[in-house]
Amino acid sequence: MIQLILSLLVGLVLAVSLYFFARRPKPSAEGSAQRLREARQTLDSLQDGLLPNDLVERIFAREDLEYVIAAAPPDVQSLFLADRKNVALGWVRRVRAAVLELMRFHRGHARLHARLSFSTELRLALNFAGLLTACRLLQITFYLRGPYAAPGMVRTAAAAAGRVCSISENSLAFLNVKGIDPFEGGGARHRA
Amino acid sequence: MKLTINPTDVQLAANDLRRRTLAHMPMPLERMIYLGSTRDYNTGMYYHDGLASRFSDEVACEALANCHREAYRQLLGASVEELVLQIDSYIRSTGAAPLDFVAAWKSLQPYRVAVPASTDPLAIEFLCGNVRVALAIWEAHREGRSRQRPGASPQLSPVR
Repeated sequence: MIQLILSLLVGLVLAVSLYFFARRPKPSAEGSAQRLREARQTLDSLQDGLLPNDLVERIFAREDLEYVIAAAPPDVQSLFLADRKNVALGWVRRVRAAVLELMRFHRGHARLHARLSFSTELRLALNFAGLLTACRLLQITFYLRGPYAAPGMVRTAAAAAGRVCSISENSLAFLNVKGIDPFEGGGARHRA
Repeated sequence: MKLTINPTDVQLAANDLRRRTLAHMPMPLERMIYLGSTRDYNTGMYYHDGLASRFSDEVACEALANCHREAYRQLLGASVEELVLQIDSYIRSTGAAPLDFVAAWKSLQPYRVAVPASTDPLAIEFLCGNVRVALAIWEAHREGRSRQRPGASPQLSPVR
């Protein structure tokens, strides 16, 4: 009798599991395409908007700090430091958010579309982990000690983000959003 | 509607614009403000009668947009010190009363709407912050309440 009850229970659990498994929403082709487009846009925004060397160097350039300290009155110095701190925090927050988005994409979709080797995946995972940690440390440092406190770590984070971008670029190489963007090309691109 | 524009024409138009009009504006700040003002804020399209008559409306629009982005990138790469000099030069070129100019720029912040479309918001924030600080330094210099940089000239000199 006990065996019968146990068998029935196991059967019930399996049936319920099967039911929920069958009901689990499958990624639709439309949804996957949307995720791919979003990942591509995130990557473009990271590569073109946040990581160009000249922009990063400009944001964290010490020469600006030295000039302002030498030439500006104290109230302007405070304004400058507050502005730069906000920009530095905004930069690291955006980089971190973009990296998280790319990491989610890789976890969920990239392996279905790109045949990544185990070593590439391991390298990517280590880069993601290192980068997210560096971003968090930078956020804390900027918050506590200002935007000029960790120039070396900024360079390291930007270089690691560049590596992640390169690997992600390979995963998304087949998807050229620019090519299918209806606003690309012609004067319509300049619409505000 | 997808417009087909010959890139060579755009390049020629941009060169023409640089040679005839922008040659009189040596500073990226001045060029960005000017090129931003050739854009219709309702449509986002750029207009320039002379350039359009020599090429076409579409080619002129693309050439103006390219030069606008170029001026913006140059301005974004400028240090605060360079920006102070550019503001000084720009104020001289407008002929406006400096006090009126500073008051208008502080309240209206025209540089904020003069940036090209599809510009990264963080870069805009960075540029606007730099211009704000440069303007404050310029004003402090003028009022004589700035700290002088060791070895620096007490007067702002015209920009090279």
